[in-house]
Amino acid sequence: MDRRKLQQRAALVGALVSLALVVAIVLGSRGLRDFDSALLPYAVATVFLAFGVAYRYTMWVSEPAAWRMFRKGLRSAFSMESFKRAPTVLPRMIATYLGFQKFLGARSHARWAAHQLIFWGCLLAAAITFPLTWGWFTFTASSATGPGYEMRLWGFKLFGFNSSSVLGWAMFHGLDLAAVLVIGGVGYFLWRRYHDRAAITGQRFAYDFLPLLALLTVSVTGLLLTFSEIFLHGGGYEFLAVLHMVSVVFTLVYLPFGKFFHIIQRPAAVGMQLFKFNSRKAGEPLFACKRCGTEIDTVPAVENLRGTMRDLGLGFDAWAEYCPRCKRELRGGAYLTDVKRGFK
Amino acid sequence: MMGRTLFIDPGRCIGCQACVSGCRECDSHRGKSMIHLDYTDEGRSVASQPTVCMHCEDPVAPCAEVCPAEAILITPDGVVHEADPTRCIGCANCVNACPFGVPKIDLEAKLQLKCNMCYDRTELGLAPMCATVCPTGALFYGTLEELQADRPGVAVSNWFAFGDVGITTGAAMVVPDGRDSRPVPGGLPLVSVNGRDVPGAGATRAAAEQSGGAVA
Amino acid sequence: MTGTDAAAQQRVSLDPSVAPPGTRNFRDAGGIPAALWRADQTKQTLVPTHCCFCGVQCGMYLRVDEHGKVFGVEPRNHDINRSRLCPKGLNAYQQVNHPDRLTAPLIRRSRDEEFREASWEEALDFTVAEIRRIQAEFGRDAFGLLGGASLFSEKTYLVGKFARVALRTKHVDYNGRLCMVSAAGANKLAFGIDRAGNPFSDILLTNCLLIAGSNVGECFPVMTQYLWGARDRGATLIVVDPRETAIARTADIHVALRSGTDAAFFNAVLNVVIREGLADEAFLAERATGWEEVKRTVSAYTPERAAEICGIPAEQVVQVARMFAGAERAMAWHARGIEHHTQGVENCLTVINLCTATGNLGKPGAGYGTITGQGNGQGGREHGQKSDLLPGGRSINDPAARAWISDFWGIREEDLPQAGTSMMEMVWQMQREEIRGLVGICNNPFVSLPHYATVKDGYDKLQFHAQFDFFLSETAANAHVVFPVTTWAEDDGVMANAEARVVKHNKAQDPPPGVRTDTWVMCELARRLGAGDKFDFDTSEQVFDELRAASRGAVNDYYGITYERLEQTGGIAWPCPDLDHPGTPRLFADGRTYHPDGKVHMQVVEWHEPADAFDEDYPMRLTTGRTVAHYLSGNQTRRLGALVEQTPRPWAEVHPSHGYRTGDPVRVTTRRGSEVFPALVTEAIRPDHVFVPYHWPVPTAANALTIDALDPRSKIPEYKVCACRIERAAHVDEVPAPPTPPGRPAYPEAQASRTTTRPPSSSQGRGTGEGS
Repeated sequence: MDRRKLQQRAALVGALVSLALVVAIVLGSRGLRDFDSALLPYAVATVFLAFGVAYRYTMWVSEPAAWRMFRKGLRSAFSMESFKRAPTVLPRMIATYLGFQKFLGARSHARWAAHQLIFWGCLLAAAITFPLTWGWFTFTASSATGPGYEMRLWGFKLFGFNSSSVLGWAMFHGLDLAAVLVIGGVGYFLWRRYHDRAAITGQRFAYDFLPLLALLTVSVTGLLLTFSEIFLHGGGYEFLAVLHMVSVVFTLVYLPFGKFFHIIQRPAAVGMQLFKFNSRKAGEPLFACKRCGTEIDTVPAVENLRGTMRDLGLGFDAWAEYCPRCKRELRGGAYLTDVKRGFK
Repeated sequence: MMGRTLFIDPGRCIGCQACVSGCRECDSHRGKSMIHLDYTDEGRSVASQPTVCMHCEDPVAPCAEVCPAEAILITPDGVVHEADPTRCIGCANCVNACPFGVPKIDLEAKLQLKCNMCYDRTELGLAPMCATVCPTGALFYGTLEELQADRPGVAVSNWFAFGDVGITTGAAMVVPDGRDSRPVPGGLPLVSVNGRDVPGAGATRAAAEQSGGAVA
Repeated sequence: MTGTDAAAQQRVSLDPSVAPPGTRNFRDAGGIPAALWRADQTKQTLVPTHCCFCGVQCGMYLRVDEHGKVFGVEPRNHDINRSRLCPKGLNAYQQVNHPDRLTAPLIRRSRDEEFREASWEEALDFTVAEIRRIQAEFGRDAFGLLGGASLFSEKTYLVGKFARVALRTKHVDYNGRLCMVSAAGANKLAFGIDRAGNPFSDILLTNCLLIAGSNVGECFPVMTQYLWGARDRGATLIVVDPRETAIARTADIHVALRSGTDAAFFNAVLNVVIREGLADEAFLAERATGWEEVKRTVSAYTPERAAEICGIPAEQVVQVARMFAGAERAMAWHARGIEHHTQGVENCLTVINLCTATGNLGKPGAGYGTITGQGNGQGGREHGQKSDLLPGGRSINDPAARAWISDFWGIREEDLPQAGTSMMEMVWQMQREEIRGLVGICNNPFVSLPHYATVKDGYDKLQFHAQFDFFLSETAANAHVVFPVTTWAEDDGVMANAEARVVKHNKAQDPPPGVRTDTWVMCELARRLGAGDKFDFDTSEQVFDELRAASRGAVNDYYGITYERLEQTGGIAWPCPDLDHPGTPRLFADGRTYHPDGKVHMQVVEWHEPADAFDEDYPMRLTTGRTVAHYLSGNQTRRLGALVEQTPRPWAEVHPSHGYRTGDPVRVTTRRGSEVFPALVTEAIRPDHVFVPYHWPVPTAANALTIDALDPRSKIPEYKVCACRIERAAHVDEVPAPPTPPGRPAYPEAQASRTTTRPPSSSQGRGTGEGS
């Protein structure tokens, strides 16, 4: 498929997804009855976000390599046979790779901790704000005088709580908590961007700094809103609210295109892992280097790669049957016999 | 071929692995060596060959093309970078697709790692660590003119043949002066000698006829 | 393809990925976990210094963090090495804050006890009490001192002075006896001065370079740039070595002669030179003595006779003669390959004869050199830790020198001991209980001396033995007292490299708590022995200033060299008699040698067989040497993860004609011992030779097999050839962990691959795709 056609298709998918979101907002807010018009810009931003994510995702998985891996991943996730063999593996993988991100600990413990702070902070904030802006959540006082509140989803009462209780405090300050978590994580990553040569090498402002600064702005302005409310009796609230809104909208719209795209992309890691896991679990033999017999990867993974290479017109896919060391040694041997053996 | 790039001459290599230890000292990959050193004539001689990323130009970076996560960046200067850690899912496609056998993978960290021509040094105008410490000049960083000023009468090639596929690269290998316009053999195809695969002769000739390109 | 059984299926982990070795093995972080890697350059200081290892003395920067700790290395564009470094040099810094470092004196009353940590006071007092007891009971000479050539020159000066002034024993020697003494002896005989004639940079100007018995690519990797630089400029390269080493592989002529036949070969080359009229008769007449005698002797060494003795084609002798003598400027460098023989001195003399006969001396691009193996192999032998030498290279047998130095040190001449014996002879004396107490500084004879059984027996007979070291060496582990001393990065000092260029090493960090400099320990011992007034040094510079003055007027004249000048220049070659003198990079430029008559004294050499006889039981030649990732006895390098990873263990290098496959256990047996190594089968070695690298201790020690036969003049052991046989065995002997104090296992990260039973795929080590 040529690129323009692809873009058109992706735009169509994007439009459909955004439309679906609009419909969900209308229905979830009981025909806009629960919709808070003050949050309209946020809601609009999420619609743009939905478009962007769907567009970008479609573009991404249409690439030959991603498309093959995408299909393999989905097939693995929905394979009844593999489910029977290992029913718990998918949720466990999701918890490991998406929730607790164990692999980050193998890169660096500090980075893992900081990323966990940002991850859970953002997740908490999204879980609170998205339903609120869409008018899905409502909080209503259960009586005119008392501290009792009711939380409703799509108009249905979920539970009641006392606003002066711990739960009540947490409900109203969930975003502040999220902001603190995110600021902690972002602070570490910003420090690292100034000190760690591994991070500094080749770093780009738009790709590496902007997402951190965006998160930092969102979190700090959010916290300042609470600060203004409690200590300044609303002083500067208007300005802060606008600043907060602008930073949030920017972050949401930017999300599918820069570094944040990895949030949407990461589930592919689970798909890939499951694809390899299923082969191993089924007791299939591993693919061994044709020359030295070293295990290279699972047979389906090598086959998948060779398919990808053929899709891409990389005509040396047979080379994938050799381990990297053998490739280097064979090339070295060919250099010795065919190019030069000695000094000159 | 890039302006300032790495030139590899296995004929000068003494196999000491200073490049391997030097690479490890580079801060951008913290104690992990990205260079390979192989003894390519095992049992016959002590011949050796260092392998750095060749920074493929045409086709541009097969490792990046087979990456399902769009994790491998190629900067405008032609440097093929290591995987973006936020994106890499650790599938090892790049490891097994690279015709030169370059990328490494940290399975636990779900992260590919490879030579990025010491971007932390080259972006400041310094030579990569391997070419800085190489005791023999088997790894040389600079322009072709600088190389030829240092070693009168050397030629280089950045054109490799893998079977009937030709690949041109950003880094280059030294070839004898006056070598005909054939690409450097990449090792494919293989013929079996005493049950052992060895690179077959003549492959490069076929590729040369097909592609009809010229050696830089 | 490999199958998996049903049981394995059940145990598939959540992360079942596989990848081939070499793409995924990150144990190569040099023992430092990657997460602890310090990649912050904002607060680092670069301290310019030189490498602590071989005689090339490459410049390097040590990276020091804001807490004053060494944490890395950065290449330094010093003119010796022009930023290049070898794997040993790159990993050297990891010794400095290594977990295996000794940080408290270790002590025990008898070898049956375990070591316990003690205070410095207790360790020093105990040592001095034992010195006093032994010297009172058995005489002053019953206590010996052994130094080392990895020490700074200041410390080697102190070793000599400590022996002669504080201990007042004649028994002092050093481990350069295992390294440089043959070349030194030959140079003294021929030229009256003991050093290489030309600087490295002259190699770039030569038309023909002859390297004899030196695996430059592995032992002096950074020197290779000069060899390649010469070839780039059109020079031809001749390599004389029984093994096809990395430099021999591409050489114009590789003479793969039998080990132990060098003198026959070089005599034959000279024979051809004379026969073909290529000798520089004018030069000889004017500048040399002994030419007629040499001519007469070599006339018996025809190429055909050499071919038979050396096991090479006769025409190779002719080719070498024509190439070397026919070149406008030719140069010869040699190392241990021709020196580690019972005729080591004579082998060197045959090379000197060849250079002299062809007029290749003292000119740019034409000359002669010897490549020192240890970092301070040159400087370490110059200032008095050698049994027969006083500071400045003066002879202890020379009455004038004795009087001069006695006056300089402020002692009575009759109190100055006479010449002692060599290191190996001292071990025999320990066996005979003529020497009953010993202090060893910076050496590890349990790995480095030949014939381990003898060495162990000698040391075990000692009533008292103390060692100075920063890691517990195999020898120190057998001692009564171990003093924890500094690494090279924790003190200032100078070393002289293979060019006799004196370079300054700078202190990069304070020693860890509990660690003292060797200088401090020697001064404290001297003070307790009642010689405190002659050992009143706080800094290395004070010692160096005394050394300079002590060498003044001698051949090895350091007087004009100061710390300040060294820092300004990046190194000065001695002789440098006064503060304005530029140093002497190239000797004999004025055509005069350092003999009173100013001439080269050519010496007659007759080849003889090696000491160990070959017969039906021991038909093959065992030769030993280094590998690139390790250094000397390995006490330093066997603890550095990256180097262990590169070369985890020794092997037996054999030719395919014996029918072994790489990895097969091969038993190597000599008249002195028998050990099993994995075979490294390669065509790069002569079929009648076996090579074993020597950096490991028993039961994988090459030196458990080698012969303790000495050159009569230099007393160097014949490491490079002895008679052996090989046979199949069941199991490979395992490499033991490096010794550590009780309760502290050797840093496991660095030892991970040590227990492998596979040989490396090439003598330089394992490729990065090998290993687990």
